[in-house]
Amino acid sequence: MTAAAPELAIETRQLTKTFGRQTVVNNLDLAVPRGSVFGFLGPNGSGKTTTIRMLLGLASATSGEVRVLGQELPQQLPGVLPRVGALIEGPGFYPFLSGSANLIRLDSADRFASPATRRKRVADALERVGLTHAAGKKVKAYSLGMKQRLGIANALLTPRELIVLDEPTNGLDPQGTREVRHLVRSLTDQGTTVFVSSHLLAEIEQMCTHAAVMRAGNLVAQGSLDELRQTGQTRIRLVTPDAQLALGVLAGLGLAADVEAPPERGGASADPQLIAPLPEEVAAEQIVEALVANGVRVRGFTVAGSTLEDLFVALTGEGFDVAQ
Amino acid sequence: MAQKFTKWIPAAVVPVVIAGVVIAVPMAANATGSLPDKSAQEVLALVASSNVTALSATFEQTSNLGLPQLPTGTGAQGSGSTAQAASALELLTGNHTARVYADSTNGAENMRLQVLDSMAERDVIRSGSDVWLYDSKKQTATHATLPAKSDAATSAPDAGDAASTLTPDQLAAKLLAAVTPTTTVTVGNDLSVAGRSAYDLVLTPQAGDTLIGTVSIAVDGSTGLPLSVTIVPKGSADPAFTTAFTSISFDAPSADLFAFTPPAGTTVTEQALPAEMAKPTGEAGKGTGRSAGKSADRPVVTGTGWSSIVELNVGTDQSALTGSPLFAQLMTPVEGGSVFSTSLVNVLLTTDGRVFAGSVSAEALKAAAAAAPLAAAPAAK
Amino acid sequence: MSPSNSGVASVASGAAAAAARPRAGWSFLASELVLLFRRRRTWVLLATLAAIPVLVAVAVRLSTARAPGSGRGPAFLDQITQNGLFVSVVALTICVPLFLPLAVGVVAGDTIAGEAGAGTLRYLLVAPVGRIRLLLVKFAAAIAFCLAATVVITAAGALIGAALFPVGPVVLLSGDTIGVPDSIVRALLIAGYVTVSLAGLTAIGLFVSTLTDAPVGAMAATVVVSIVAQVLDSLPQLDWLHPYLFTHYWLGFADLLRQPVEFSSFSSNALLQLAYVLIFGSLAIGRFTSKDILS
Ligand SMILES: Nc1ncnc2c1ncn2[C@@H]1O[C@H](COP(=O)(O)OP(=O)(O)O)[C@@H](O)[C@H]1O
Ligand SMILES: [Mg+2]
Repeated sequence: MTAAAPELAIETRQLTKTFGRQTVVNNLDLAVPRGSVFGFLGPNGSGKTTTIRMLLGLASATSGEVRVLGQELPQQLPGVLPRVGALIEGPGFYPFLSGSANLIRLDSADRFASPATRRKRVADALERVGLTHAAGKKVKAYSLGMKQRLGIANALLTPRELIVLDEPTNGLDPQGTREVRHLVRSLTDQGTTVFVSSHLLAEIEQMCTHAAVMRAGNLVAQGSLDELRQTGQTRIRLVTPDAQLALGVLAGLGLAADVEAPPERGGASADPQLIAPLPEEVAAEQIVEALVANGVRVRGFTVAGSTLEDLFVALTGEGFDVAQ
Repeated sequence: MAQKFTKWIPAAVVPVVIAGVVIAVPMAANATGSLPDKSAQEVLALVASSNVTALSATFEQTSNLGLPQLPTGTGAQGSGSTAQAASALELLTGNHTARVYADSTNGAENMRLQVLDSMAERDVIRSGSDVWLYDSKKQTATHATLPAKSDAATSAPDAGDAASTLTPDQLAAKLLAAVTPTTTVTVGNDLSVAGRSAYDLVLTPQAGDTLIGTVSIAVDGSTGLPLSVTIVPKGSADPAFTTAFTSISFDAPSADLFAFTPPAGTTVTEQALPAEMAKPTGEAGKGTGRSAGKSADRPVVTGTGWSSIVELNVGTDQSALTGSPLFAQLMTPVEGGSVFSTSLVNVLLTTDGRVFAGSVSAEALKAAAAAAPLAAAPAAK
Repeated sequence: MSPSNSGVASVASGAAAAAARPRAGWSFLASELVLLFRRRRTWVLLATLAAIPVLVAVAVRLSTARAPGSGRGPAFLDQITQNGLFVSVVALTICVPLFLPLAVGVVAGDTIAGEAGAGTLRYLLVAPVGRIRLLLVKFAAAIAFCLAATVVITAAGALIGAALFPVGPVVLLSGDTIGVPDSIVRALLIAGYVTVSLAGLTAIGLFVSTLTDAPVGAMAATVVVSIVAQVLDSLPQLDWLHPYLFTHYWLGFADLLRQPVEFSSFSSNALLQLAYVLIFGSLAIGRFTSKDILS
């Protein structure tokens, strides 16, 4: 990020949305710096899409304030939206129109987009997402990944100051995922702010400069990736067949470890893993030394200190529980 | 959010504005300049002096005679005399819109009456001595030639079904003729009819036994042409019968309108008129339809003024009429016959084939039937 | 996906574009019309409507061929055999109570709910199309469909009528006869009348369409409303209500077949339809502008 602009591309204050009795977004204070690639991370159902709908004026906030590109919403919506490109909760297209016809229609809906350059801009956007060969094909014949690319192309039809991508890599193959990552990086080269939501940490980690983490409608962490890593708890990860013995040794050093069942991998390595937070006063090498001295067969040892994954897991909970 | 309510403001305001317009526009139309005060006598004189030679107008007739409501369209079904009766009855019930064109400038005697039915039309066209009746539904046309010297300028000759719908001026002329000491005539507040200011001439029968409460005639303030007629039954606030112009222009209509040639595919009948213009046809529309025309018997009128009773001999061969379901629906059996009852007119059909009709109660009709000797025994039987 | 800068101007120029004055936005209306008339569904609807005058004409032709002169049907059908141009009017009379409301219900009910169901509504709104502008464009396109539908019936009727029956002077309800050019003018007037008649129902459909994300529900509801209104219109007990029902003047185009033309039903109908369009249009605006788009 070049010279942290004081200006924010997106700013919300105490943003809240309730559906009936359910509070889906709760007192959200987002601050998305201009020029950043901002990851909006959270498990399914944590309120990411709902927040994005409020940012784009599709849904009204129950309470709180929203500023996008310095403009108050929803009052300034007509002035803001032409400067924003978006992919919201998956692509939505007319199946009976071709890919390029779909983009032409959406572009003609934008009163600021020039009709003279429309065809060229559509062709360029399709090229950027690698859909040139399928431009004339009906969208009903597209695969999910192709539709997703078309949705991204729609966000790129005109130069935008802010691009909002809600789970852009859904349905994409690994190659496509890589391409999206690349594309997002290239967008920021032109000064565009990109706001990407995802439930996958790896994705965010690889392409974002900043991130915010949602959990059941609450913002649990926000900042640049470095800042976030620092807030994370350092942990050790030990792979050993002598789990019980190791537990005792770690306890002696003041580490409370959890035993994880061995990962199923065709019977090859069936060693359990121990994970424990690493207190600051204990050095990692000290632990290994003590383990070996006590006859624990150390088959793997990592200090998974500052991975965001741990943070993510710690903040959002583990497993498949979808936020209610 | 409070802003959400503001989005609904148009939805709340628009209906109110529309309701306001719906109420205000007719009121504005009614707010025509007031007329100089006139006595009943003067208004009658204005009517008498009325000299409208040309007009193009639309009028609407609304009847609420207390007859059973027939679903629209029934009038056209059936055949023979039932259809005839139903058709005549249909004109007396419900609502009808008709247009009238008249031009008697330069001595011409041109008139055209169009009853605007749904997807159909019944026309009466008079051009000089030629009279055409046209029915688009039946695709029939009837032609008659009027006797050379005819003063039937205001009352259409044997106009069949269509003529039962009287124009306001025709009806008013008829009613004004009945103004006798039996009636109080007053002038009410000025009215607005078809956008014109009019005097409201109110006739109140003084006879105790008539069904008619008041007859109001709106008389155009400038031409003296009756513009509407409203009949309110005794003891009721709602009119039982209204006929009123909804639009009127005194420009001469296009001459083409009076030149009628039956279109291709029409069944044309030539009707010879009886030498003497049949007067009873004016009394048609009292529910007996063509039977009255068939019978050679002259009607007998008893009583005077508003409580007159017309007696007619129709013969006992009534099976075609009495057998129809329509008849059963409309007639109430009473001792010695059956009664066709409306809020303005009652008709008693006796079992011995006589018809008594009048704007009087059914009891008065029965009394008249009992009093009248069975003078001319029916030829049939 | 090439990360190249090809075709993407700098953000600065994007901001400049945003600051520029917006265009009138006719190209969105054009896009909407193209979308509507490119859909196979629209063509199926129009083809079905065009089939009705064809069926009527062929049926009358076959039945009169077998039993000439025994026309016991309504006089209207009889007219066909004498003049092919009448097929249009007969077909419109047949289509007005049910087939046209069905077709209009499908198109009007689909306006907003269809976009919501396809997931395209959110993209239109962030494109951005203002919500009121979207309603106006959708309404205009639906009215264009009404016009297309009546013109298709009229044209198909005139063509098949000319093919199967003699064409000549037309007999009006008043018994007067007019020439072929005059009768074509009247046929177009009638098509205009029927189009205007459908405006109220279109506005109702638009409103219903803002209430749901399920297009089929909105279509069905719109058609049901038109049928209920016609049933109410046929109950004499409710005659005080009749002049306010949007279906009340639907068959009043017969007044255009009188001599002289009676325009009062045309104007009454137009005013009534205008009132419906204003009321249901403002309801649709109220609903749509305050609605959360969650489709
Ligand atoms: N239309 C709706 N009505 C009621 N609840 C909804 C609606 N849409 C979403 N929700 C609820 O809001 C919560 C957040 O949903 P969403 O914002 O889509 O989550 P995410 O995009 O993070 O997966 C979920 O619990 C979901 O059940
Ligand atoms: Mg989501």
